[in-house]
Amino acid sequence: MATIAASGHIAKRSTAAARTVSRGSALMTLAKRRFVLSARTPREILVPLLTPILFALVIAPALATMVHSTIGLDYKTFVAVGTVGLLVPLSCMFAGIGVIVDRDSGARRELLAAPVPRSLMVGGNFIVALTVSALQLSALIIAAIARGAKFHTSASGVGWFVAAAFVFAIASYGIAEVMANRIPRQEEYVGATPAIAILPWFLAGSLFPIHALPAWLAAVAKVLPLTHALAIMRYGLLDRRATGLHDIWGMSSATGEATLSLLVVAAWAVVLSSASVRVFATAAVR
Amino acid sequence: MVRSRMTRPGPAIEVTGLRKTYPGGVEAVRGIDFTVQPGEVFGLLGPNGAGKSTTIGMLTTTIRPTGGTAKLAGYDVVREPLAARQVSSVVFQEAVVDRGLSGRAHLDMHARLWGVAPRAARDRSAEVIEAFGLGDVIDRQVHGYSGGQRRRLELARALVSQPQVLFLDEPTVGLDTRIRYELLDLIGGLCAGNDMTTLLTTHYLDEAERLCGRIAIVHAGAIVALETPMNLLASLGGEIAEIRVSGDPQPALFRLRRRGLAGEDAFAVGSTLTVPLHSRSSRSVVNELHAAEIATTSVATRKPTLDDVYLQLTGDSLTA
Repeated sequence: MATIAASGHIAKRSTAAARTVSRGSALMTLAKRRFVLSARTPREILVPLLTPILFALVIAPALATMVHSTIGLDYKTFVAVGTVGLLVPLSCMFAGIGVIVDRDSGARRELLAAPVPRSLMVGGNFIVALTVSALQLSALIIAAIARGAKFHTSASGVGWFVAAAFVFAIASYGIAEVMANRIPRQEEYVGATPAIAILPWFLAGSLFPIHALPAWLAAVAKVLPLTHALAIMRYGLLDRRATGLHDIWGMSSATGEATLSLLVVAAWAVVLSSASVRVFATAAVR
Repeated sequence: MVRSRMTRPGPAIEVTGLRKTYPGGVEAVRGIDFTVQPGEVFGLLGPNGAGKSTTIGMLTTTIRPTGGTAKLAGYDVVREPLAARQVSSVVFQEAVVDRGLSGRAHLDMHARLWGVAPRAARDRSAEVIEAFGLGDVIDRQVHGYSGGQRRRLELARALVSQPQVLFLDEPTVGLDTRIRYELLDLIGGLCAGNDMTTLLTTHYLDEAERLCGRIAIVHAGAIVALETPMNLLASLGGEIAEIRVSGDPQPALFRLRRRGLAGEDAFAVGSTLTVPLHSRSSRSVVNELHAAEIATTSVATRKPTLDDVYLQLTGDSLTA
């Protein structure tokens, strides 16, 4: 073991004048930390991409073979977009585990003592969850195209898709952060993950339109942010007739319906992200 | 972007009526007051559960006070928390590291979060790496560090931002004796001749005596004495008699006081009677006990320690 060296030459320094750190720089530092801790090896980056690739290459084509679509859309592409509704919440929920690890390992205390707003700690984690989600969605779409999915790629369509995915990711990470700060044990958090990340997927029109659900379940689905997000994403990349949005709103203007749905997802995002910052601050500072 | 903020004149740490009551009604800190001047090394001495770490938590804004005020370099920890955190660094009692990051990544991250310019951060990191003997391990992940190496890394990290106020919360707890003494040397070197203010909490008497210019003895969330180590020890005189008696020592203490052989500063803990002698002789004390037919199992005289001061003030042992 190394012996501690003499320390005289650092003892006689003057302390530095107080500084103020820019929020952008602090946010990037926190995001970099989380990224390094979450994806240290190529394996840690590649493994999360297996799920979307598997869905696009195997599950969506297999379902399309078995199911005869009556909705006038390519079912393979329909399921590929629906898979987004599984990937984003799962990525965000897994990112929440990092919050619990920080809390349990004590590493969070150093960050709490740093001269940066504590909301940035939530923001730093969100950036990494968003990056992982974006990588997964990219892998999904590339694999889906390779397997024959037919996307309509107009600038406005891609814009709707990206906006819906981004705002939905904010809402999803908000839930993850709230749960990670409220649930005392990691095992309990992992146990709750399917209820948050997978259950809504079955109800939100991921594998079939919500008009196929019983009326009361369709009513529940219309409240879920995922239902709105998927309908917007399909409108952007697949279904210019906006059948998913019509199922929700029953209006004549697809753009108007998409705007309303985006506002619904955005409202969820605002509420959940605000709650996440508040819950983090309350839980972190006793 | 890094902007300079003016340092306000006045004490480095100013604590007035600081109080913390946790949900459920546990009063961890009961309205404490103290002031620490720039460059001073100040100790909070007390046993586990006395409220030392809660005090550090409030000063570092990781615990919310329920009453009173505290200022670091003039910045109120509640109203100006970012500024208060900007001028301070802390080494917490428990390990506060990311085990998956390298030691160098810890230093870099601290420098960035505290707004140290990149070039200054590189220079400063190189200095602390050398000073703390971390050169061989700095690029390894922290999960491979020994307890002593991890502690040195935490100290080095806290100094990268050249804080005006450094908090050391039980910095040597859990370390083996050799590493503990090496670390004490290091901390002593840091504190000497520096304009950095250090607030140290400890329940080790030698640590407090060796490092601190002034000590506040904390008991059950309150400060029961605040003095230099020398003055605290002087309050018990130059010599004390430590007398072990068979059975209850209170009658013996009562008798000695009645005869003027023990003052109000004499105290009994368990079966041990501690009598500051001041100008009295230990023989007269022993003779009086024999005359009263109070059986003693041992009698010894020695110089008082901070433990005696603490026991005299609180009746509890520091090492409890």
